[in-house]
Amino acid sequence: MPAFDADHTTVSTWPLLWETLRAQRRNLLIGTMIGLAWSVGKVASPVLIRFGIDRGIRDDEMLWLWAGLIAFAGLFAGFFTAFRRFYAFREARWTETRLRERLFGHIMSLHIGYHDRAQTGQLMSRSSSDLNQIQMFVVMIPITLSNLAMISAVTVILLITDWQLALLAFASLPLIQVLGSRFSRAIHPAVLAVQAEQAELATVVEESVGGVRVIKGFGAERVQAEKLRTEADDIRRESIKAARIRAKYLPAMELLPQVGLIAVLWFGGNQVINGDLSLGALVQFNVYVALLVWPLRMIGMTIAFAQRAAAALGRVNEVLDIASQVRNPDHPVDLPTTGGAEPAAGFGDIAFRGVTFTYPTMASETETGGPVLDGFDLDMGAGQSVAVVGATGSGKSTVVRLLVRFYDVDAGSISIDGVDIRELSLHDLRRAVGIVFEDTLLFHDTVRANIAFADPAAGAERVEQAARLAGAHDFIMGLPDAYDTMLGERGFSLSGGQRQRIAIARAILADPRILVLDDATSAVDPSKEHEIRDAMATVMAGRTTIVIAHRPGTVALADTVVLLDHGRVIAWGRHDELLATEPRYRDVLAAMEQSDDEERRDLSDDVEATIGGD
Amino acid sequence: MFRMGAVTDDDKLDKEATRQVLRRAIGMAKPFRRTIFAALCFVLMSTLGLLLGPVIVRYGIDSGIDMKDTTTLRNAVIAYIVVVALAYLAARQQYIFINRAGEGFLRALRVRTFDHIQRQSLGFFDRYQSGVLISRMTADIESMAELVQWGLLQFVAAVFLIGLSLILMLSLSWQLTIAALLVMPVIIIASRKFQRDSNAAYLEVRERVGQNLSELQEGIAGVRVVQAYAQEKEQTRQFVASNRSLYQSHVHSIRVSTWYFGLVEALGIFSTGLAIGIGGWLVGRGDVTVGTVVAFVLLLAQLFEPVQQLSQLYNTVQSSAASLDKLFTILDTEPDIQGGSEELPERADLIVDGVGFTYPSTDTPVLRDVTISVADGERLALVGPTGAGKSTVAKLMARLYDPTEGTISFGGIDLRDATLGSLRERVVVVPQEGFLFGGSIADNVRIARADATDDELREALDAIGALDRFDAFEDGIDTEVRERGSRLSAGERQLVSLARAALVDPAVLVLDEATSSLDPGTEVIVEQALDRLMIGRTTIVVAHRLSTIQHADRIAVIDAGLLAELGTHDELVEIGGRYAALASAWAQSLPS
Repeated sequence: MPAFDADHTTVSTWPLLWETLRAQRRNLLIGTMIGLAWSVGKVASPVLIRFGIDRGIRDDEMLWLWAGLIAFAGLFAGFFTAFRRFYAFREARWTETRLRERLFGHIMSLHIGYHDRAQTGQLMSRSSSDLNQIQMFVVMIPITLSNLAMISAVTVILLITDWQLALLAFASLPLIQVLGSRFSRAIHPAVLAVQAEQAELATVVEESVGGVRVIKGFGAERVQAEKLRTEADDIRRESIKAARIRAKYLPAMELLPQVGLIAVLWFGGNQVINGDLSLGALVQFNVYVALLVWPLRMIGMTIAFAQRAAAALGRVNEVLDIASQVRNPDHPVDLPTTGGAEPAAGFGDIAFRGVTFTYPTMASETETGGPVLDGFDLDMGAGQSVAVVGATGSGKSTVVRLLVRFYDVDAGSISIDGVDIRELSLHDLRRAVGIVFEDTLLFHDTVRANIAFADPAAGAERVEQAARLAGAHDFIMGLPDAYDTMLGERGFSLSGGQRQRIAIARAILADPRILVLDDATSAVDPSKEHEIRDAMATVMAGRTTIVIAHRPGTVALADTVVLLDHGRVIAWGRHDELLATEPRYRDVLAAMEQSDDEERRDLSDDVEATIGGD
Repeated sequence: MFRMGAVTDDDKLDKEATRQVLRRAIGMAKPFRRTIFAALCFVLMSTLGLLLGPVIVRYGIDSGIDMKDTTTLRNAVIAYIVVVALAYLAARQQYIFINRAGEGFLRALRVRTFDHIQRQSLGFFDRYQSGVLISRMTADIESMAELVQWGLLQFVAAVFLIGLSLILMLSLSWQLTIAALLVMPVIIIASRKFQRDSNAAYLEVRERVGQNLSELQEGIAGVRVVQAYAQEKEQTRQFVASNRSLYQSHVHSIRVSTWYFGLVEALGIFSTGLAIGIGGWLVGRGDVTVGTVVAFVLLLAQLFEPVQQLSQLYNTVQSSAASLDKLFTILDTEPDIQGGSEELPERADLIVDGVGFTYPSTDTPVLRDVTISVADGERLALVGPTGAGKSTVAKLMARLYDPTEGTISFGGIDLRDATLGSLRERVVVVPQEGFLFGGSIADNVRIARADATDDELREALDAIGALDRFDAFEDGIDTEVRERGSRLSAGERQLVSLARAALVDPAVLVLDEATSSLDPGTEVIVEQALDRLMIGRTTIVVAHRLSTIQHADRIAVIDAGLLAELGTHDELVEIGGRYAALASAWAQSLPS
């Protein structure tokens, strides 16, 4: 299996391909050798046909020997053409396969700041359609090499047989190649234009489906229907334009060799009449010219494919070239442990010291620009729990993102149990901190695998224990296949609260020394909220916990509260103390109340949509 | 949006189903029969041109070269040039005509499917995920483009070429034809096997590609969780496993085609050997001329490629048939909400009478026996816990769905008997969020009434107090809203949505309370716009806020699909039931 190295960088376009192909050079070489064998069979058959006609038929000598040899050459060429094809296509797929794995591993290792800006669709097309273009080019490598061998051999043979006739026959062939590359150049933008129109039609369809309530509400079907007709007409117009380009080039490319055949018939025929050339040689010329048509056309294709592959490689390389900005230290330090059965017991101090952080500018976030955290300080002893409270944009979620090094601080430092987190290996750091994210992501896998995400080797007992602690065991047992039920987009769909509990179980199983709950109760049916809270309280017991709270109920879970405003701690204390003494704290809580209502309203819609959808 | 290539069971059509789908498609292609006929004529001409070549060569050899007759040879050459030129012209036209017919067919299919989707009720849109509908209109139709651009042409040309070659060969020499075609049974058997195997392999590859893309997407979407739990290696390992199984299916499909292509190529040359052997023997007996043997050799070189093409085409045809079949499923769905013939009066009471509702394909009713009569001009708030059915009541009142029991009537006319046109003029739903379409602000308001003049648009915007705000934009109300309205703030989008309602000037307004996540500045403007809009109209509000409820004339509490309480705020507080409890909980949660 190829190695995945986050720091792998500075591969420019062609060296990347070269490096990839080098690993496959043996099979590519075999493919080319087989191709050469094939070309021997291919080249031999017209010569044999010539002897068959001249010696076998006209002179009536050893007719059946020649016929037999032709048949044999056929079987020979057929056998090797099959193998050439097999090797070429298999190696191309292998190149694609390995590049995709490398790309995936790289994408997984890239810093989150990159993912904030990257579009999923873009990355997807890097790993699918771009790699496919590269694959199409790799297929052509052994095929083109052996085609070139064949073309040279045929050229030599014809030149030896009759150089004048040969030049005549070949006169039209370079034209095919010229036409071929012109065609590729002309058709490519036309195809792109069709695709662009298709995308516009897709937009109309998307908004019509997405805005169906508006359309139905106002009876505006006709307006959208008009838009669609316009787009459908555009697609048709562009497609027919592309068809005109095909009409112009393809028949010409198909019929040009005939021009060579005509020339051969005229001049060669006259030579036969004069006795300078045998009839068999004439036929041989014809067959050879026909034989060269495809290989020549394919060289044109290869050039076009190579251009497209180069562009695709460039795009793939752009991704591979990005080095993760969050890097593993060269000499990682270990976190202190007790060395006993519970190595992390009693540990879990956290210290934020003068942490300042500004998000790199992003198109989507217009209000940022200044630092999100500005001299943020926070000290937590092992086993303590703190609720971070603040208005939207106060920076509270950023605290967590910095703690697990999704981003690195601009100034200041963060340390766990006295070790600066930048000195820990990323793996150790992230295993030491367990996060329950705000939006619970479930993978398309079983309940068991989703809970055992941090430790896929965890046994059924540990999974079940984690689920029990998270208050998830009971509803899991009620699922169609209990712990083996498939979840995710194409699997069984759980309610918001159930998803949250799976996420909590996931964090429990990871058994981190520090737990982070990022508003783990949003999007939960109010009647179920207390169950989640109970689960959270169970998990928090005896573990250092940071709660990023967006609603009053969650705040109460923590020992102390930190009030954040514009990236700084402006108040700190127990919930009731702050409520009594700090007006700004009351304001923030009131705002939470308000948005809480709205979230519930959104939720009520979800519920109805779910009912309607099934 | 990225399109998933995942294969579902309906991608695998059996032969009979494929045939039925194709028959129906041919029926749909009737309007293009002239273009298709012209295309076929051109295909026939260009194929003939291709085949005449060897015949002319034979004539040149037998009558020219063998007779040492230079004039005949020259005539043959001239004839050849003419044939090639004609074949070129015909070939150009065949592309153009086939594409004209094919693209015309696809356009008609797009328009027809879209119109049909638009005629469907909301229930239909609940049943189909939006992604599915979008891919029907895009990926499924586009997958047929390949067939239209290449496939049909190749198919027709291949059939013509094979048929005409056979006729030509038979007319030249039946003995040689038999000799040359001795290998045909092998080719036919091999082609059939290849067709079957390659189709299975192709579907397998498509399915694995779909799975692989899902894994990829999941990995990218979940990268934060993956990194937070330090599972990059494990995730990559899983991806590699799926990627390798995709590779294996590719290799399998390559293997399937490998032996077939080799065999066809081998047999092509093999049969040339046969033609020369047997042909030479026949020449020796004086049955055929040398020219005939040469013509055979040249014809055979052209015969095997179309056979190969035909068997490869099968996959394209089959997957197009599968796409068509999915489209036909949609086209066969009759819209379940259709207009009646009666015109609704300008103003009247809206009466909900014994209404029950069950979503299709579920058993549990969402609403049972709800009766409310809303007087003209009354303001009614619908209140209740999550999922109790209050939004459903609102949707039924606008006939976005039809009740499964009972009736809803306006001025004594059952909504089901009213024309859809007059219904949409009397009852307007303002959704929670202002959904915007591509185009300008004016275009977006005009969605509500396509024939509205610019003055009417401005009046509508002015009526809700939003005109000044939009006039302040550089292009005024002609400002492009960009994708999904990203040029406008959430509040401004909401204003557009309200202006639409104002443009229609309905008697009844159904609101799904619409103030979520607005910045304080616009929130006030939106609320004022809403207040203006509600003046003098019957209003039904799905309410979530105490302030809205307090402004209502009456409150209907919906709980577990039943009308639990109905009355004014004071009356309901008096009763001391669910509403009273709700109101006091609300009051307490407000910051003091």
